[in-house]
Amino acid sequence: MQRRLPLMLVLVTGIFGAVAFFVPHGAVRSVDEVFRNDVQRILAAFSLVLGVGSIVQHHLTKIQRKASFWQYSWITLTALVLTAIVGVFGGIDPNRPGILPTHIGSFSFHIQTIFSNMMVPLAATMFSLLAFFMSSAAYRAFRARNVEATLLLAAAFILMLGAVPLGRAIHAELPSFAEWILAVPNTASKRGILFGVELGIFATSLKIVLGIERGWLGGGGGK
Amino acid sequence: MTPQADSARVSFWTRLQAIDRRWIYLVLAAVVIVPLLFPFKIKPKATTPVQKLFNYIDTMPREKALVISIDYTPDTRAELQPMVVALLRHAFATRRPVGVLAMAVYGLGLGEEALSQVAAEFNAHATNHEDSIINGEDYVFWGWTTPPLTVMLGMGERITNVFPVDYYGARTESLPIMRDLRNYDDMGILVTVAASAMPRSWIVYAQVQFGVHLSCGITAVSAADFYPYVNSGQFTGMLAGMKGAAEYEELVTAKMNKEGLDWGLRNRGTEAMSSQTAAHLAIMAFIIIGNIGFFATRRRK
Amino acid sequence: MHIATDPWVWIAAILTLAIFSFLYRENPFYRIAEHLYVGIANGYAITFYWHRILVPSLFDPVARSPHFITKVWLIALAIIGALYFTRFIPKISWLVRIPIAILLGYGCGASIPRAVEAELLRQLQATIITRAHFAHWDTAAWAIIILIGVITTVSYFFFSAERKGALKPISYVGIVFIMVGFGASFGYTVMARISLFIGRLQFLLGDWLGLIR
Repeated sequence: MQRRLPLMLVLVTGIFGAVAFFVPHGAVRSVDEVFRNDVQRILAAFSLVLGVGSIVQHHLTKIQRKASFWQYSWITLTALVLTAIVGVFGGIDPNRPGILPTHIGSFSFHIQTIFSNMMVPLAATMFSLLAFFMSSAAYRAFRARNVEATLLLAAAFILMLGAVPLGRAIHAELPSFAEWILAVPNTASKRGILFGVELGIFATSLKIVLGIERGWLGGGGGK
Repeated sequence: MTPQADSARVSFWTRLQAIDRRWIYLVLAAVVIVPLLFPFKIKPKATTPVQKLFNYIDTMPREKALVISIDYTPDTRAELQPMVVALLRHAFATRRPVGVLAMAVYGLGLGEEALSQVAAEFNAHATNHEDSIINGEDYVFWGWTTPPLTVMLGMGERITNVFPVDYYGARTESLPIMRDLRNYDDMGILVTVAASAMPRSWIVYAQVQFGVHLSCGITAVSAADFYPYVNSGQFTGMLAGMKGAAEYEELVTAKMNKEGLDWGLRNRGTEAMSSQTAAHLAIMAFIIIGNIGFFATRRRK
Repeated sequence: MHIATDPWVWIAAILTLAIFSFLYRENPFYRIAEHLYVGIANGYAITFYWHRILVPSLFDPVARSPHFITKVWLIALAIIGALYFTRFIPKISWLVRIPIAILLGYGCGASIPRAVEAELLRQLQATIITRAHFAHWDTAAWAIIILIGVITTVSYFFFSAERKGALKPISYVGIVFIMVGFGASFGYTVMARISLFIGRLQFLLGDWLGLIR
């Protein structure tokens, strides 16, 4: 029951999802639309529980066990709760405020303000660190050990030069050559890889629908 | 060469190989900061995929909408936001209806930022209602819903079923723009601006079933992977990274100047090209120096 | 130099510098910023899931719909959705498989026919050389190179036969194409990463310190 019911549901919904593409009949289309707009939407909304719940559980466990740097977990939990309160009760449109006021005088702490001035800088800066790690890797790790690696580096150099206006200053045709590398040999190799990947995805999707692939069920026993 | 000189040379390269990575960070930071403070004038020349997208939007029927899907998050804002701004400027300058949606919940705030910025730019120069950019009349921000499958397939039938209210809480059925923007048939092109594999999903779900014209603005990391779709015609052109954004900005600026809208607007993508050039040279230098050191120390062994 | 007076710009700048401080070494400021990010991101997601899905698609229709069957239908869906919470109750955690199965099954089923059309058939079609390619010498040449590249790349990943005889040089040509493709990806990755850093500097030097335009 614990495995059989989910596998049955996957089979039924999977077949329906595939069949709905081919059948133009109005009744099938109506059911498909209701399934997408109601069932999918509401279930997807609740799926947030998994993500948020896992984060909360992880940090509560850290605090309980006084694991390393457990004090910082309070920051995560407090920020989560406060942001959710401001957003849920303060409303998302500044012109239509919710029951919670989101400004003190001219100082606003509306959810959009928090997003633009806290979340954007934090996320963008976190990712911008990659520029430094990449430069360090370029210095320490990118070696032309053999012909293939040299070919890779040569293509990369041409692209890097062709991508900036300096490339045109070095040779008028360098940007065009870089564009050609992207449009021809790169396209060929990426398409070849794409075929393999897509065949793999197709096979895995089919195996999931037919119940052959059961990794998504997770651990635990049960029939 | 004497053994001592040879040993000193190898020791130099060995020390250089083992340099603290923070010195590398410092060099990179300096190389990027200086051109930002003292930029050199650059005029990016449009590549074929960028020109193709620009030409398509520029020549599509006036009543057909440009729809932009914000499929990225704040971490890739620097590369992709300039694209959205340039696309919005192009659409508003040519008086085309615009629809914006977000597939990533964190893209909502970015879409709102871009729309507010560009609408304010145009309204600052508007002298009457006709010139103004009005929410609900000239553009609609549908907002976000989930899952992506629901949106992509649902928009082919009726957009107002997928987004019964817009981002600001207004009923979409009541908006004037929605009278002529019912589904994909009323769109000239949908441009997905993404940092992930979402453009593929748009092809798979929206284009296969409904035949909608698609294009994409993509981070440079993924750009090379999407060329097969440009080659096959599944994407009508493509904007790749900040360079693609800068090229499109240049085309839009030229177009707006031609229409008498030379307002001296800021182009963040183009501004970054000086630093981009310097940084690329620095990375190439790091690779070359690293390889010289590698071969010098390897030979000794 | 026109330093910003908006307190939020200063907050954004301080958070930016806190993350950048990690480049020197890990420190409490970086940890605070990192944990703040996780908390705010989740709080933001909760906000919009609440306002843009649960309220208009579930709570409002249940409260306002005149049709009893609609209310029952939506409440039933909500109960199935609430099964996600059982993930955290070990004794009945298997129930979480039910909503996952519904979403996963439909997603996989819907993707199969569409992905075959979009990713396989259309791409195969684009690889095949047609008469139209021979309108110009360059389109013909590039189409031939693409065809050779696709075949040799696919042959490189063919592991069912030993790489000897004809397959060996064919798969080596495939490696050449793959290396050029990866080199192109790497070159553009450099551009991407640098762009993200430039974006932050545009904020710090421009919006915060007013040193650039």
